[in-house]
Amino acid sequence: METNNIINCQVAVIGAGMAGMSAAIFAANRGLSTVCVGKASEISFSSGCLDLFSRIPGADRHAFLNPFTGIDALSEVQPDHPYSKVSREEIVQGFEEFTGFMNRSGIQYHCTPETNQQIITPAGTLKSTWCVPSAMIAGTRALAEKKRILIVDIRGLKGFGARQMAQNLKKAHPSMGSVTIGFPGRETAGDLMCERLTWDLETPDVLSRFIDEIRPHAKDYDAVGLPAILGIYRFEELKTKMEKALGKTVFEIPTLAPSVTGMRTKEAFLGQLSGISVRHFPVLVNNLEVDASGGKSSGFRFEVTEGISVKEVRTQALVLATGRFLGRGLGVDDTGRIKEALLNLPVAQTRDRSGWFQRDFFNKNGHPINRTGVETDGFFRPLGRDGAVFHPQLYAAGSLLAHQDWKREKSGSGISIATAYKAVSHVAESLGSD
Amino acid sequence: METEVLIIGGGTTGTGIARDLALRGISCILIDQKDINAGASGANHGLLHSGARYIFKDAEAAVECHRENQLLKKLAPHCIEDTGGLFVAIEQDDDDYIAEFPRLCDQFGLPFRALSPDEAREKEPCLAENVKAAFEVADAVVDPFMLSLDNAAHAQAKGAAILRNVKLRGFEVHRGNIRSARVENMRTGESFSIEALEFVNAAGAWADGVAAMAGAHISMSYSKGSLLVTQSRINDRVINRLRPASDADILVPGGTVSIIGTTSIEIDNLDDIRPTPLEVDDIIREGADMVPQLASTRYIRAYAGVRPLVRTSGGDGRNISRNYTLKSHEADEIHNLVTITGGKLTTFRLMAEKASDIVAQRLKNTNPCLTATETLPPSAKGEWTEPGKAPRVWMKNPERRDTLICECEMVSEYMVDEIVNDLKAEGAVPTLEEVGRRSRIGKGPCQGTFCSFRLAAYLYRKGDLSDAQGMDQVRDFVNERWKGFMPLVRDKELMRVELQESFLCALFGMEEDLYGNE
Repeated sequence: METNNIINCQVAVIGAGMAGMSAAIFAANRGLSTVCVGKASEISFSSGCLDLFSRIPGADRHAFLNPFTGIDALSEVQPDHPYSKVSREEIVQGFEEFTGFMNRSGIQYHCTPETNQQIITPAGTLKSTWCVPSAMIAGTRALAEKKRILIVDIRGLKGFGARQMAQNLKKAHPSMGSVTIGFPGRETAGDLMCERLTWDLETPDVLSRFIDEIRPHAKDYDAVGLPAILGIYRFEELKTKMEKALGKTVFEIPTLAPSVTGMRTKEAFLGQLSGISVRHFPVLVNNLEVDASGGKSSGFRFEVTEGISVKEVRTQALVLATGRFLGRGLGVDDTGRIKEALLNLPVAQTRDRSGWFQRDFFNKNGHPINRTGVETDGFFRPLGRDGAVFHPQLYAAGSLLAHQDWKREKSGSGISIATAYKAVSHVAESLGSD
Repeated sequence: METEVLIIGGGTTGTGIARDLALRGISCILIDQKDINAGASGANHGLLHSGARYIFKDAEAAVECHRENQLLKKLAPHCIEDTGGLFVAIEQDDDDYIAEFPRLCDQFGLPFRALSPDEAREKEPCLAENVKAAFEVADAVVDPFMLSLDNAAHAQAKGAAILRNVKLRGFEVHRGNIRSARVENMRTGESFSIEALEFVNAAGAWADGVAAMAGAHISMSYSKGSLLVTQSRINDRVINRLRPASDADILVPGGTVSIIGTTSIEIDNLDDIRPTPLEVDDIIREGADMVPQLASTRYIRAYAGVRPLVRTSGGDGRNISRNYTLKSHEADEIHNLVTITGGKLTTFRLMAEKASDIVAQRLKNTNPCLTATETLPPSAKGEWTEPGKAPRVWMKNPERRDTLICECEMVSEYMVDEIVNDLKAEGAVPTLEEVGRRSRIGKGPCQGTFCSFRLAAYLYRKGDLSDAQGMDQVRDFVNERWKGFMPLVRDKELMRVELQESFLCALFGMEEDLYGNE
């Protein structure tokens, strides 16, 4: 695949967030030679759960308990929405393939096919999500069964307040309790970071002292909720140890960024990449060019740096999974219009910046700018200025796409997985038929 | 509740009056519908005028500013950074206007010194290359929060009471005399009456509404002025554009930032005062003519205040006098109400003195005003509003390096403890908004993305918040910061907004409450 610093592949995925990871996995699983470029940095903000769909922003109706009922209702009113371009089967197959891959990397998800589940957030709200990682599932069950839950927070670990959670949830869960403990060996430290505590807990002595700190407070409770700090790789083992020692079920609650749950997802993905023979470059793309010869085998080329060498990647198909502003997939041009960063693809615009946002940050209609993005055909191929497909083998997946508001819909992972699935399936089909 | 004087409005004027009266031995209560400096007193440049700004149009105001400037530098030096100021003209500015400036300064006794363009650019390298005239004047920078909090603290030490979140609902008027004010505690919903002999209306932009409750009339118009705060300080001295008043004429340094403003937009509604993206573009474009780097620098916040202008005849916001208005309401046949409004931060003390003179005379109190001679004692109340203080304290005390609630401005848990204890000692309930107003929390580059939430978690842990009230406060806090950030979002700022919404909405679902409970 590589000669003289030139790498030839069938699919190149740009972006290593949820959409990029999914696209790389799906491409490799279909036997396509695959290169994935990107830093996976945004994944560090992930809660660790996989959202599918919960709400149509602005519509004055309840959150959907069944995400598929919600998507059906959404498709009726928003025919341009990315979900309106995928079938239920494609969503389910995409999730199965993605979670199957993560499962082999050590992360198990629990999913009730027709129902969203709830997790506790550090704000003391309940978040609806579809797939809950095993480290958090005991909390979801304890909530559903109205078990007595003790939430534990740690002095010096800011932005994670056990009493805040218990107070906010006490109407629905009056038996919920809270306690603040000192972390063994770091009782007087000013500022604690989750990642640091995670490494500490890998030491058996620290773990057992941590358990000892919790034990006296836990006796009247059935389940213990902790900030997500139970290891990046061995969390199942640590959780089981804690459960045995305390005689209670133990679960994690996601924390603010950078979160350990996000790091786990990223590590699980990166650790398995070589196993499915995807070449990954954790760098930015340079000098991306479209082969304009127009022939059926024409594709794309770009450069990446690896160590001190510059490699040229030549690919037949390209999947843009570059995200929005935070991932730098979208930006603003000199005239104040939203632009697509790599190929200057046409972007569905909103008004000038006076119309980008609502005055109320939490306005339930969402901010108009969040619905801007790349326009595509039914296979998620971006459209050019003329309204026709820009290039037959160029695809876009995930939050870069127009006409969705994943933050308000609670659809981030779902849009990423489903659109990557449909796009890559189409790549496989069309390249296979060459 | 009863007292000799009830003061309505807790801005610089109101707190100045409370101190002035207390020093004359007159008992008083001050109420504010929100908090100290919640209105225009907290939303201005923080400029202590030399007076030079006003010599063209309002010589009286110019002379007053000059006198008060000199007095405050002597009596309240801890609230002032004596930066000095410049008036500069650039290529396109009117030569005749420039020539008038030194002549008028001389005429009214305002000290100044002419600088060559090179000298000016040496002093302030940020100035445009095409500066053609420059004058040095006695402008300075004042911290309006510290000023008001110290005035309030001194008044309290002399027996005055300060009640925040107490809103005026109406007056009992009997034969031309107000007997009592009906008020409501906006936190608890409790209503009560305050009886007083004299009433002072220092409600700023809300003064017409207060007067109307007593059956008195004031015709006011409101002019909104928006300002931008840069991420770092780009000038040492106050820099004024030497031209007829227009947008973005004044660049004021303050602590670690600079503030450019203002606009002047006539508004008729005080409910939702906020800067707009169009104003931001205008300020940046105009300001960059004088200081080019304003076009490329990063801004952390925009804010808007309302100038209460008392209408005498027509004219736009800038033509109506910026000088203050003092009304004794005898003509309205209300005999124990004084309204003091308009004016400038720089002349707040003088305004307080004039209003207090009328009140004292009516009460037959002959003690002299002491605020022109007695030093304003520094209190600890405003200490955490000072930019740069929290990081200094935190860095200098390695043994006290406790958890930082706000990483941008380095406000730590024990600083929050001090503020909370102070608020409680004043009988207030500590909220995110109030702790925020008394500290730098939320005022750094993250603008509340992380710290609002961390502060809530900390206050919950301490037991100062319960039930769901903290989440409502986080929403309010975020929206208050959003008001100041949204108009600035142009490019890179979009990343921060996306991150913030990912947490607050995608993860926490904080917008979900708006849908109501099923």
